[in-house]
Formats: sequence, structure tokens, C-alpha cells
Amino acid sequence: MHNEENESGLLEKARLLVTHLENKDKDKADAVLEDLASEREMVLFQEVGQLTRELHDNLSSFALDGDLVNLKDNEIPDAKKRLNYVIEMTEDAANKTLNAIDEIEPVTQGMEASSQELSEKWNKFMSRDLTVDQFKVMASEISLYLDTSSKNSKFVHEKVNEIVMAQGFQDLTGQIIRKVITLVQDVESSLVELISIAGKHGSLNGDGKANKHVDELAGPTVPGVDVEGEVNSQDDVDDLLSSLGF
Amino acid sequence: MKILVVDDFSTMRRIIKNLLRELGFTNLDEADDGLTALPKLKGGSYDFLVTDWNMPGMTGIELLKEVRANPDTAQMPVLMVTAETKREQIMEAAQAGVNGYIIKPFTAGTLKEKLDKIFQRSAG
Repeated sequence: MHNEENESGLLEKARLLVTHLENKDKDKADAVLEDLASEREMVLFQEVGQLTRELHDNLSSFALDGDLVNLKDNEIPDAKKRLNYVIEMTEDAANKTLNAIDEIEPVTQGMEASSQELSEKWNKFMSRDLTVDQFKVMASEISLYLDTSSKNSKFVHEKVNEIVMAQGFQDLTGQIIRKVITLVQDVESSLVELISIAGKHGSLNGDGKANKHVDELAGPTVPGVDVEGEVNSQDDVDDLLSSLGF
Repeated sequence: MKILVVDDFSTMRRIIKNLLRELGFTNLDEADDGLTALPKLKGGSYDFLVTDWNMPGMTGIELLKEVRANPDTAQMPVLMVTAETKREQIMEAAQAGVNGYIIKPFTAGTLKEKLDKIFQRSAG
């Protein structure tokens, strides 16, 4: 209806414009043109005004649902702490591993040198090139070698176990990173929603909430990220269990 | 003694198996979550279960409950090795009948201590 009225009005004004132009009445023709232009502007202003109001309403209802605010206030800062902790853990594991290797290296090199030395003497002995005194020296060297070899093997074994234990970081950092991936997905769906509101291609869908975490478990303890009811150590676990009669 | 080690991270399974071998347990098997662990437990005479909590498919706590609900496995000692440190979760595991609870990261010493404790009890 509104459009039809608008169109007939326009048609009338156009006819008027033609009449004025045919009559060569330039002033009247200009006045009609001005009238037409101002009407156009008015409609445009009204539409912009309406759009702005809708955008404002949508944005405030979106912010009110708290999801985005919670992401900004809590989850993003927590994610930063989590990722920093991942850096710390991987660094720590790399250092533990490299330190253990640094300690193993000289021991194995020492063993290699002494076995080389002893092997040469042993070959001389086998080809009967060793004097009795030289043999006695070799015998005590072999005895010393066997003793240190057993100690060194034990040492290397301990260090190898340290290296194995250091690999535990992979599980824990993996769990932490999975949580951050979930957060990134939440942020992504919030942003998509925001864009769809701003682009006016759609309205708030469903309950307006980003996908809630499927993984509700707290996961690995991260320093600086407080999780309610978390214990701090294996001792706390043992205390809790023994209080339950374990 | 046949032990099943259940964790979704293969590195952690390797670490735990390594430590168990170190302690003299050589008959070891593994599964990557509760769903793959359960048929193994039902089919093959295991004596001990070490499990993580947070796993896709079926979690460790669900696995524990299934194990306790099945008469064939109800008596099997279960040690939980997990990064879950919430009190309510530890209590839930205790109520479900877990025999030991170790939080990650853990040491070889802690694993040995908990195993010794479990075996002492089952022997006594």
C-alpha cells in the first residue's frame, strides 16, 4: 500500500516536472526536483535509523546472555595461562631429557675408552705378548672395569628412566591443548553469531548460546587457573582417600 | 600377573608399561579407551587394570563401573592414573570401588608404592 502511494506520488511529481520543463519554467522544475530528492533522503534516514536500532537491540541481547562476556573475562585469560603452562611443561621435559643425555654421554664415552684399552691389552695377552707384571696390571684393571661397568649401567638405566618419565608431558599438554581447542571453537561460533547479527542475515538462533563444552572434566591442574575443589598433590589424594577409609 | 593399561595417549601407555616392566611385570596389554578395554577384560583373564579417566568413547570411571558390575571382573584391582584432581571426582572413583588413585604427573616411586599397597591388601 505504502509503496503504491509512494509510486503514484512520484508519478505525479514526474508529470509535473515534465510539464514545467515543457513550459521552460526552470525555477518550478528545480523546486520539483528538490522535493523529490528530499523525499528520497527521508526514506534513507528512516531505514538507517531502523537498522541501527535493530543492531543495537540484537547486540545488547547477545551481550546479555553472558557467553561472550564470560569468554572475554575468564576463558580467554585462562586459555593464555594454559598455553603458557604448555610451553613451560614442554620446556621442562626437553631440559630434563637433554640433561639426562648430558649425564649419560661422558659415562658411555668413558666405558667405550676403557673397553678399547682393555681389549688391546687382552689381544696382546692372547698372542702371549704380555709379561707377568703387565698381566697383573691388566687383571686389576679388568676387575675395576667390571665393577664400574655395573655401576655405570645402573646409572644409565636410571637416567633412561628419567627420560621416559619426562615424556609424560605429552599426555598432559595434549589434554590442556584439547581444552583450548574447544574454547577456540566456542569463540568461533560466538563470532559467527555476531557476524550474522551484524550482517542481518539471520537472527539469534536457538538459545543464543555458543556450543557448550562437551568435555566437562577439569583436566590437568594448571597453575593460576583455579578449579573449584581441586586437590594440589598426590598427598592430598592419599589423605582424602584415607579419610574415606582407604 | 596379566595387566591391562588403558589410556588414550599412547605415550602415557608406553610410560606406564615401561614402569611396570621395570617393576617386574612383563605380561602387559593395552587399550586406548573404555570401549576397547571392555571386550579385552571380558575375554581375557586379566589380573589387574590400570586406567586413565578422561578418554573418548568410554571414560575410565565408566569402565570402572562396568568392571565392578560384571561378576567375572568385579574383584579385579583397578588403579586409576589420571590428571583429574577434583575432590568430587576422587570421591566418585572411591565410591565406584577404585583400589588406588594416582594423579599425573606422577613418579615411578608413587606407582610402585600404590601397587605394593594394592597387592598387600589383596594378599591380606
